[in-house]
Amino acid sequence: MNLGLPPMHRPRSLERELATGANPYLPARARVMRIQELVADARLFELRFSDPELARSFTWRPGQFVELSVVGVGEGPFSLPSSPTRSGVVQLAIRRAGVLTNFLFDHLREGDEVGLRGPLGHGFPVERFVDQDVLLVAGGLGMVPVRGLLQYLIDLREHFGRVILLYGSRSPEQVLFRDELETYGRRRDAEILLTVDSTNGRPWEGRVGVVTELVDDIELDVARTVAAACGPPVLYRFLLKRLAALGFGKNRIYLSLERRMECGVGKCGHCAVGYTFTCLHGPVFSYWDAINLPELIDQ
Amino acid sequence: MQTLRMKPDLMAEFLEALAAWGRVWAPVEREDGLFSLAVIDGDVTRARPDALRTAVPFKKLLLKPRFTMLQSAAGGTPVESADNDAGAQVLFGAHACDIHALKILDLLFLADYPDPYYRRNRERLVVVGYGCWPDDRCFCDSLNTSTADDGFDLFLTPIEDGIQVVVGSSVGDDIVRANRHLFEPATRRDARHYLERLSTRKEAFKLKLDVTALPFVLELKKDDPVWDELGRKCLCCGSCSMVCPTCSCFNVADEVTADSGAARVRTWDSCLFRDYATVAGGHSFRGDRGDRVRNRYYHKQEAFVREFGMPSCVGCGRCIDNCPTGIHVVEVFQHVRGTG
Ligand SMILES: Cc1cc2nc3c(=O)[nH]c(=O)nc-3n(C[C@H](O)[C@H](O)[C@H](O)COP(=O)(O)OP(=O)(O)OC[C@H]3O[C@@H](n4cnc5c(N)ncnc54)[C@H](O)[C@@H]3O)c2cc1C
Ligand code: SF4
Ligand code: SF4
Ligand code: FES
Repeated sequence: MNLGLPPMHRPRSLERELATGANPYLPARARVMRIQELVADARLFELRFSDPELARSFTWRPGQFVELSVVGVGEGPFSLPSSPTRSGVVQLAIRRAGVLTNFLFDHLREGDEVGLRGPLGHGFPVERFVDQDVLLVAGGLGMVPVRGLLQYLIDLREHFGRVILLYGSRSPEQVLFRDELETYGRRRDAEILLTVDSTNGRPWEGRVGVVTELVDDIELDVARTVAAACGPPVLYRFLLKRLAALGFGKNRIYLSLERRMECGVGKCGHCAVGYTFTCLHGPVFSYWDAINLPELIDQ
Repeated sequence: MQTLRMKPDLMAEFLEALAAWGRVWAPVEREDGLFSLAVIDGDVTRARPDALRTAVPFKKLLLKPRFTMLQSAAGGTPVESADNDAGAQVLFGAHACDIHALKILDLLFLADYPDPYYRRNRERLVVVGYGCWPDDRCFCDSLNTSTADDGFDLFLTPIEDGIQVVVGSSVGDDIVRANRHLFEPATRRDARHYLERLSTRKEAFKLKLDVTALPFVLELKKDDPVWDELGRKCLCCGSCSMVCPTCSCFNVADEVTADSGAARVRTWDSCLFRDYATVAGGHSFRGDRGDRVRNRYYHKQEAFVREFGMPSCVGCGRCIDNCPTGIHVVEVFQHVRGTG
């Protein structure tokens, strides 16, 4: 079936080029079209490749990422938070964390140019989600790659069964893409369950508690459900146990992991875990793969 | 492949002739018993191909310890830098283990998204191998890297009253054809001498590493206290990575240059350095020294085997030579297996 996505490559095989050029370290120029405040210390950057041909042809798989760079300041990996079915612009949802991200927040203006290379890594194997119910679980900034997948599933709605999102944030004002998610819920594009650790005294209609507790609140047909999750290590620790107890096969749970990255293309070694390079074989892994890699997740 | 012979006293002339193929690098004696790879244009008699191992291996010819990858003028668009481009180079005196190491680096740097900086130097590198004799720190024979069937342009092996010359590529053939007077057809006697040398050399390996099911043994022993012991002993100085011919991790950092331009600089790195796996916010995925030491050994003998079907250690013994606290790679594995 053609789902309109670029192919997944087996690492360490085919010689290939990034869409952004033959030198995998050299970024292509992209212009900042719009900067939007998401929550405190997180912003959505909309970028468009300066080369019109690249802007038109650039596509990716949900779960892939790009390296954004400002030469002289730094470079960092950022997930693609939107669906390739909505291409044209490349969105990045970025949290302030250090040297590069401070620069992006403090000095970058609409109209400025930055560098992008990608798309990098393996995304979610959505081909395996076809005709299945899909359970998405996100914690905190983990919503970024999950949003790309969610949009994709909604845009190709007829190919998939139920789409359920469980998303946990620290507090109501930390919820990313809140309006958008609530709209999907209202329109019944997907079942959206939001939770916060505490309401911080803010008005809140969703749940209070950790996201993994939400798993117990939904009826799942485990035999026809695949799960995709992204969040901090603590989320995986609880979620994976819970899903395994419900009877999920380990190859029907997918995780997106974060590691230190310097190159994004399987050369520098920084993201290596066991025999895999998170950048090249990941960042999306099946639970089975993850459990067989020392250090990949805290078990 | 073609096998020839050369008279030993023609070696100097042969080395002079190599200069036509690029800057000639060879092991030279830096101080008593200490060797390093240096350019020998000008004085070819300095070449010591018999030297067992140079402190820093050939990898520096392909990727400099520090080079500019990208640069931009003030306010300009970043472009690729030629800082690492070395032009044509000849590596003279590569041992079989070096040639295997080179093939391992090729697997890493030329697969998937080929590394253009590596590739440009690699494509212009001429490899002239030299048959060595092991000492008590060589264990390449245990790893099947003590001889090389390919991966070189020429391979020289000293035999009785001559040097056996194996032509391994068309570039090697070019060198031979341009210097016909240096070479003669190989004789049956030469073949016999070579085979005798091969078997006595095999006997000469004293250090042995049992690699039987090593990846699985490591899997079984991943929580062994030996890793903590090693973690206490290891200074995480990174010397073993710097001297290892197959260690190729690098770090990338940005700089502002004197003329207000910018540069992205790439430097050799070691997985043993504390901040190697640290992410924003300061969390390190391998904060513990024991974990980092284990990671290095697993990477060489388990991870690489799973990924590429062979270990990424070629048994050259450099890390044994250079560890300030005497950590010995073979003893580590013997200890893990419970046989040493
Ligand atoms: C696959 C992947 C996807 C990511 N997606 C997002 C996203 O969508 N939104 C977002 O805000 N953040 C994301 N991150 C984290 C983001 O890359 C880091 O926050 C960012 O690189 C920090 O850079 P800095 O210079 O601001 O921070 P510093 O701490 O000053 O960074 C210093 C150095 O550490 C490296 N580094 C630091 N933290 C990380 C990290 N977590 N991962 C990799 N390298 C790191 C940087 O490359 C840099 O070289 C992602 C990380 C990975 C691995
Ligand atoms: S690990 Fe040690 S013995 Fe093995 S190739 Fe590297 S330096 Fe040589
Ligand atoms: S050389 Fe020795 S002390 Fe230094 S990092 Fe390697 S094992 Fe540790
Ligand atoms: S980031 Fe360099 S190998 Fe993965």
